[in-house]
Amino acid sequence: MRRAVLIARAELALMFRSHVALIGVIALLLLSAIAAATSQAHMAQERFSRLANQTQTDALFEAQPARHPHRMVHYGSYVYRPIGPLAGFEPGIDPFSGTTLYLEGHRQNSATISAVRENSSLMRFGQLTPAFVLQTLAPLLLIFLGFSMITREHMRGSLRLLLTTGVTPRDLILGKSLALGLVGLIALAPAWLALLMMAIAEPSEAGAAALMALGYGLYVLIWVFGIVAASALAQSGQAALLSLIGIWCFIAIVAPRGAAELAGRLEPLETRAATDLMIQAELRQLGDSHNPDDPFFAAFKARTLAQYGVTKIEDLPFNFRGAVSAEGEALTSRLFDKYFVELATTQRTQSQIVSLVSIASPAIAVRRISMAGAGTDLETHLRFLQQSEAHRFAMVQYLNRLHRDKLSQADDAARSKDPLAEQRTRIAADNWAKVPDFAFKPTSAKERMLAAIAPILTLAFWLASVMVLAGWSARVLRARAL
Amino acid sequence: MKHFWREVGFLLRQRASVWAVTLLAGLALLSVGLGLHDVAKQKAAISQVIDLQKQDSAAIKVFATEAGDAAYYRFHPTWNPPAPLAFAALGQRDIAPSIMRIRALALEGQIHENEAQNPELALPGRFDFAFVLIYLAPLVLIVLFYDLWSGEREAGRLASLEAMPLARSHLWFPRILARFGVVSAALIPVFWIGALISGAGLRDTIAFTGLIVALLGFWTLFAAWIAKGRGGSPTNAAVLATVWFAITLIAPAGANLVINATTPIPDGAAILRENREAVHDAWDLDRAATLQRFYKFHPELASSPPMQRPFEWKWYFAFQHLGDQQVESLSTFYRTGIAKRDARAGLVALALPPLAIQRAFHRIANTDLAAQSAYQDRIRAYHTQLRTYYYPYLFLAKPFTPADFDATPEFSDRLAE
Repeated sequence: MRRAVLIARAELALMFRSHVALIGVIALLLLSAIAAATSQAHMAQERFSRLANQTQTDALFEAQPARHPHRMVHYGSYVYRPIGPLAGFEPGIDPFSGTTLYLEGHRQNSATISAVRENSSLMRFGQLTPAFVLQTLAPLLLIFLGFSMITREHMRGSLRLLLTTGVTPRDLILGKSLALGLVGLIALAPAWLALLMMAIAEPSEAGAAALMALGYGLYVLIWVFGIVAASALAQSGQAALLSLIGIWCFIAIVAPRGAAELAGRLEPLETRAATDLMIQAELRQLGDSHNPDDPFFAAFKARTLAQYGVTKIEDLPFNFRGAVSAEGEALTSRLFDKYFVELATTQRTQSQIVSLVSIASPAIAVRRISMAGAGTDLETHLRFLQQSEAHRFAMVQYLNRLHRDKLSQADDAARSKDPLAEQRTRIAADNWAKVPDFAFKPTSAKERMLAAIAPILTLAFWLASVMVLAGWSARVLRARAL
Repeated sequence: MKHFWREVGFLLRQRASVWAVTLLAGLALLSVGLGLHDVAKQKAAISQVIDLQKQDSAAIKVFATEAGDAAYYRFHPTWNPPAPLAFAALGQRDIAPSIMRIRALALEGQIHENEAQNPELALPGRFDFAFVLIYLAPLVLIVLFYDLWSGEREAGRLASLEAMPLARSHLWFPRILARFGVVSAALIPVFWIGALISGAGLRDTIAFTGLIVALLGFWTLFAAWIAKGRGGSPTNAAVLATVWFAITLIAPAGANLVINATTPIPDGAAILRENREAVHDAWDLDRAATLQRFYKFHPELASSPPMQRPFEWKWYFAFQHLGDQQVESLSTFYRTGIAKRDARAGLVALALPPLAIQRAFHRIANTDLAAQSAYQDRIRAYHTQLRTYYYPYLFLAKPFTPADFDATPEFSDRLAE
């Protein structure tokens, strides 16, 4: 071990003297700092803007004048997907998915207004975030600094010399890994610092931040051992460099795209327009509120009349129109839920397929940990959609109850023709404030940590494999030197 | 010419080069297959929705005997069919809808709708031919070029090679050309097969091919220039990879940050909300005044009699349009802001060849931001056509018959050129 430390120290001294290595490390730190600062500032601004939008939207709802409750059903409300405290580190899907959802009666809208549609095509080349710097850039720097660590000794003939002084190939591999690992640590430092600061600012997020830090630590270590092993196994420096760049390109660039294509092929999604139309068609099968003889609504009427022991809807103790609205909304909402479950299942399966490909690419695994930890993964978006729908339904049914209980049946029927009846169907504005506000429950820190466990294990498996490879490369090195 | 073929022969005897080029051709073939499949899927989705919409409209026709009911309940499909070359450069087509259903109601609340895609799949970007060309082909060129001179120097042959008569024209030039030729041969025929299957026009195919040659030419010249320098093989490889990384990943991401910071756009969510406020406020405003404001935009309808009832469809559709008018300037500002961001990206592309080629690809394949906004413009024009079709029935008591329901204008996907 002492010898390994000596080797590491010599290697680091060499790197420090080489301007290229120094410039590389400084450039990476600079980029890390820029990425951390801009990404954090941008997400903070987004968070503020969505919060402000939500406050304003809720205030507008409560400030609506006395109205017919069904007007409020159509006036509806907006919800804006909130951003978790760690999203500045890893924006994940946030810029790629709609952030604003319009909630209204009878309809389920799509989440709209997404950064990706407000940006030039440059955005699809990648975003400068701390996560991107660590996932993509840091490994490349480690490759440049480490590919020739052992091939160099080999070429110069200093390898045999070293081995005769009692240094074992193990010491050599360990020493070089130690040196490259230290560079990796420097590369990680700004990100770890950023995560630490976020954890201090938001102690409930500390567990998730720690898992993210662990994930990136494992990821960098995988590259460190992999690079040293490649340098030991390669015949020449350039062979090591080229194969490492090829591997990097596959892991960081090709595999994530390929995995996404694979998932999209194996589990295709319907277009939104087709789904809407299928829901409409199925709805018509179940019950058509435009058809006066519709069996579903006729049965509902008969059931309601029987329940109250009356023969005409005029004799009911409430406004039957409101009750029909509520019944219709419940029917529609059941279909929305059914199709949403299908959509969510397909999308979750797609993401699981991508996760499976992380067996071939640790970059996918580390991104998964990163997005799950930061709460910027698919799961967060699906929960936003699901909770928004629940909120929409609760809001509409609250208004339908007002429609049923607070309006006279005769006025309600005459309101399109009789201005006085129309005035009487308006109910007091203070009813609007009683609609509960939307409170998004994101994935809890515990759930996010659980979601990160499988990819952490994948990374651990990768690390174990490259460590075995590095150990084996030490044996090859001994055979080659003798 | 014989020197060229000799060098091609040498190149194809190197195992690493053959591997790299074969892999590139294989990935290009895969990307073309994926792209063609994607385009076919989008086309199928468009015809599926058009069919489903017909059934939906037939069901609405049964009860929508008034023009107002038809205008309110009936959706009309609009679509943005993929151009033949979209398979090679999918651009924004994965995140923006290829098909949208539109009603004669206020448009601002409809036109921003999104496709129901999985954002985790959009995040890494698409595996299309443009990706293989712009990201992967340069790496293969780097592999073929980095030790062109330094390799000979390190083997001790460089001095004698340079001393050969006509070394430039008989040795180095054919060597460079052979590498360029082999990579071109791995990519261009694959693209042509795709273009043939998708039925792309000759002019676009030639333009696209020209762009492929330009990009490969750029990297060939650059790699040869670095390789000819004094650096050793590993240094050259590292320098080339760094430059590739800097101009295909770092520079675009950095430029995007700068463009967004310097080109603000209005909050899209605010446009939606203000549109809604303007539309719904009308329920509590003086109805006659609302109609008067509407008649300023449509004086030909001003002869319509005053409202008799608290609710009439004509008033309803009048304030829908006023709602769009209310946010028109904001909405225009939003769209021009996005277009300005894109124009600035075009300026950045002047300095970054891969970006310039990517943008040109997307332009020819009609998958860029401009193509998306052209689709939105067609939707806007169609929406105007649609609402003005209903106006005479709503305002001027023109009788609305089932034949009029069927004669509603249909969207045309012909590119407005």
